[in-house]
Amino acid sequence: MRSALIADLNKDMQKILNNISNESIPYLFLLPCLLILGSLLSVPLYKVVEYSLYDNVIVQKNPSFVGLENYKEILGDIAFWKATLNTIIFTVGSVIGHLIIGTSLALLVNTDINPKARTLFRSLLILPWIFTAVVVAVNWQLLLNPFGIINYGLDKLGIINEPLDWLGDPSLAMWSLLLISTWRGYPFIMVSFLSGLQSIPKELYEAAEIDGAGFFGKFWHVTIPQLKPVIYGVALLDLIWTFQLFPLVWLTTGGGPGRSTEVLSTMTFRYAFVNFEFSQASTVAVSILIISAAFTIFYLRNEKSRI
Amino acid sequence: MFFKKIFTLIFAFSFAWTINASAKTQIEWLQWFAAENTRDFYEGLVDEFEAANPNISVKLVTQPFGKVRESIVTDSAVGVGSDVLGLNMPWTTGFLKSDILEPLDAYMSKGSNSFKTANLVQAPIGKINGKTWMVPLNAFPFVMHVNMDLVKKAGFSKPPTSWSELKEQAVAISNLGDGISGIGMPLSSQPPSNGPILTFLPLLYSNGGRIMDGTSPNFDNAKVVETLNFINDLRKSGAMAPGFASRTGGVDLEEFIAGRSGFLISPGVHASAVATRNPDLNYDLVRVPTNGVNAYRVHGWELGIASKSKHKEEAWKFIDFLLSKEVNAKVAKASRALPGNLDSLDLVSGGATPVMKTQMNILSGDEPVEELRQAPSAVASWSIMTEEMQSMLRGDQSAKEAASKVQSRWLDLIS
Repeated sequence: MRSALIADLNKDMQKILNNISNESIPYLFLLPCLLILGSLLSVPLYKVVEYSLYDNVIVQKNPSFVGLENYKEILGDIAFWKATLNTIIFTVGSVIGHLIIGTSLALLVNTDINPKARTLFRSLLILPWIFTAVVVAVNWQLLLNPFGIINYGLDKLGIINEPLDWLGDPSLAMWSLLLISTWRGYPFIMVSFLSGLQSIPKELYEAAEIDGAGFFGKFWHVTIPQLKPVIYGVALLDLIWTFQLFPLVWLTTGGGPGRSTEVLSTMTFRYAFVNFEFSQASTVAVSILIISAAFTIFYLRNEKSRI
Repeated sequence: MFFKKIFTLIFAFSFAWTINASAKTQIEWLQWFAAENTRDFYEGLVDEFEAANPNISVKLVTQPFGKVRESIVTDSAVGVGSDVLGLNMPWTTGFLKSDILEPLDAYMSKGSNSFKTANLVQAPIGKINGKTWMVPLNAFPFVMHVNMDLVKKAGFSKPPTSWSELKEQAVAISNLGDGISGIGMPLSSQPPSNGPILTFLPLLYSNGGRIMDGTSPNFDNAKVVETLNFINDLRKSGAMAPGFASRTGGVDLEEFIAGRSGFLISPGVHASAVATRNPDLNYDLVRVPTNGVNAYRVHGWELGIASKSKHKEEAWKFIDFLLSKEVNAKVAKASRALPGNLDSLDLVSGGATPVMKTQMNILSGDEPVEELRQAPSAVASWSIMTEEMQSMLRGDQSAKEAASKVQSRWLDLIS
């Protein structure tokens, strides 16, 4: 009787152990990836937050802990708020530009024309996305140069009397930057919306036509509602990317003239590699992180609700 | 049995190779020099050094000028990086704060050195905090490059020598039209945003002015205001190329090389870029037009040792090789600059071009000025100068206001 009980107990134990090992095997496979990703993400993140709580890290051998002093200093600095405002203008302006141009071009390349021509247009229109920020910056600097082709064209058309310094005039620099950013970023929206447009059932358009809807009617009452989940997700993603965009701004205007196009990412770089104030740079970086994290939570919630 | 023998042989060779490889010390040399129109020259120098020193190998790491400073800082922060560093004098105080550089005094006093300290160009080896931190590989004065075709087309026979002649000729060249400008002012905020030190400082020194009082900023003085007023006057009279606030030093050089600017104030070493990129340009090089004083901003490429280097002796051996008479003369010729070791001057002057001879005359006869080596936060101060000069040239403030603002912002920065 006793031996039978022990045998049952052993069986149960074996079963439990088997279950545990079966359940844990997938986690074991995931472990190397989780460890690498975790350390690659968490260590730098931790270091940046830690640096923001110290006085002049890297430059000083033994930096002292100052708590939230750097945050107080940054929040009291008018240059930080100006850079924040510029970041908001640049981000919102760029995303609106991307959405308008991206949607328009997606509608154009989705029209029923010669398939070869359609493929050609799609390929050409996606080109700005392929170029690196350096190439984009150099090309637009040449185009917008006072002796560049844009000033030449405007002069020949009689729109301007003397060349404009598009990237050197504080009243024009942000607009020029928005133009460049829109040109660089619209293909992502175009491609995303194109796939969305192709998934809209044709019957909806036919029904709308029967109801007497014209081009704008169909666009407003069929296309937009059908694309809404895509628009929301893509716009949020674009917002996150553009908010922390650094190379395009730095290579095009360097945050100038003056500080008229200084955004939070260029301010971070200026603190770190121009002024050698790495604690202040980390503090601004943490502020970017907080805002980007908020956008990311919105994005993830949106994605969850779609599932 | 046969395979056993083969295996033993392979093992023996591998072991011998490993021993040999581990006996060889590798040092790394981070610099931007090899990117400046001297294809394969520095690779050849490294080969020459390695042949003479079989136990040391040198890894040449070449980056653009604007990137080298960032790399040195980040490498030092994480405790890796190069042993021999290509340096620029204005970086000095920033690097000393971060303890990046190794003092060179002990190495320089070695009896076995291939050069005499007294023969080196003196500006870079002046002591800061009682120590020497860098040695000069080469040296060049800031000069004015002249497009002689445009000067003649504008009705002049000789390049300008004074401020008033500079203004007169630059205005006349700008009046030629067709996208031609008298002189450019590279005051873009884009990195490295160093326009003021390229053009403003050489003009200030030729006016007898300074921006430092010892190691303290002294920007709001009468000479600075007078020089700023002259620059403002160049803009108002139409002598200056449009787009000063988006014009980088690189664009300024390219515009000159392409024949669209009459004058370019920049380092003499740019003669190399002009000669190689547009050999047809009717080109001359003169001292920066003066307002009474023959002084020039001296500049150069310097060398130092990283404080975290594990091979400091080997690093010094390589620096010593670069400063030796023959090698240093070769470096000077390749970069169309003057040697850092003045003992090499006779080797360089043999067969020197007229452009090189003019630079030699400036160096030997005029007063050299270098203030940025001991300036606190020199690199950050360029951005401030750029921003305030942009504002002045836009007409938003006077020269006096610009000078005061630079002074107060610079003091804020270092407080």
